Amino acid sequence: MKIKDAEIITLMQNPRTQEKGVRALMDAYQSRLYWHIRRIIVDGDLAQDTLQETFIKAYQNFHQFKNDSQLYTWLYRIATNEALQQVNKLKKMQKTDEDPEYHMQNLVADNASSDAEEIQVLLQNAIQSLPEKQKLVFMMRYYDDLPYEEISKIVDMSVGTLKTNYHYAKQKIEEYIKENYEK
Amino acid sequence: MKEFDIEKLERKNIYKVPDNLFENIQEKVINDVKATKKAPIFKLNWAYAAAASLALIFGATFVINQNDDSTKEAGNSGATYAVNTQAPKTESEIAYEILKSDLTSVEKNNQTVVNQNTKSFVSQDVETKEVPTPKTVKPVSKKTETQMNEYLDSFSNSEISELASNSTQDVYLDLYN
Repeated sequence: MKIKDAEIITLMQNPRTQEKGVRALMDAYQSRLYWHIRRIIVDGDLAQDTLQETFIKAYQNFHQFKNDSQLYTWLYRIATNEALQQVNKLKKMQKTDEDPEYHMQNLVADNASSDAEEIQVLLQNAIQSLPEKQKLVFMMRYYDDLPYEEISKIVDMSVGTLKTNYHYAKQKIEEYIKENYEK
Repeated sequence: MKEFDIEKLERKNIYKVPDNLFENIQEKVINDVKATKKAPIFKLNWAYAAAASLALIFGATFVINQNDDSTKEAGNSGATYAVNTQAPKTESEIAYEILKSDLTSVEKNNQTVVNQNTKSFVSQDVETKEVPTPKTVKPVSKKTETQMNEYLDSFSNSEISELASNSTQDVYLDLYN
């Protein structure tokens, strides 16, 4: 039986049941958050570390969680921030003469499973070619099917801006795939 | 490819995932949570911190001032030492001083005995109201003192020095030799 957010929150708020609450929180959201982080970072080990850090931050700062937003929105916000921080660190460490888009496409190729379809790999490459905000909006809307209102709370953007961003992101991706698909 | 609609594409995760990924993550997170729980979190209270800082400042000032005073005192005593440091005396002068002090101490001792006796008699005085005279110890008479001086004057400086070197010195005097 899937535990509800309200129960997780009650467990997390009581110091005696906090550990149980953390377990319940991870059981409920680890998969969704992992894939959200993984699509941003691509690298597997780094995504694992980032997810760990996300849960630890959630535990440490749970007193800051306000019931006026949904639990997953709050968790997505932490995960997104952590993932973007990692990406920025990687960018700083990257060689200056290396094209970041090319670097990410190499990372996609290295991390994709051997049986992955070409069009799916192309889609990931196309996503990595997008500007940061468009990338985030597209991934949360396309893969996680999050409502614009919730995405708005996660990335601090208006719903209108999000819709526009999603529209442009979708257009760019379709163009990219049309250009690069060989079949 | 002429027409392509991304909405019709199946949503798939194409990346490889290590075995026991979530078990490992959960274990690490729980370990961290337990470690955080065990370690007491010290929350800084600014009022206490300010009070502690003030106490430290005043305490340090007090200690430093005390050290200054003692340094000044030490300086003064140093001045005393400086006053005491005079030109070294000749052997004969030293010998003469030693002899003189020996004689003086003998005289003083006798006087002390007299004084003590006097004191004891004074205390008896209160009870008996009689004025007793010392019997056992007599002070060195002026005549004897004059004879002693004459006798000493007959010595040359070198003889006095020889006498002084044979005499037993007070160990504390060595400090000034």
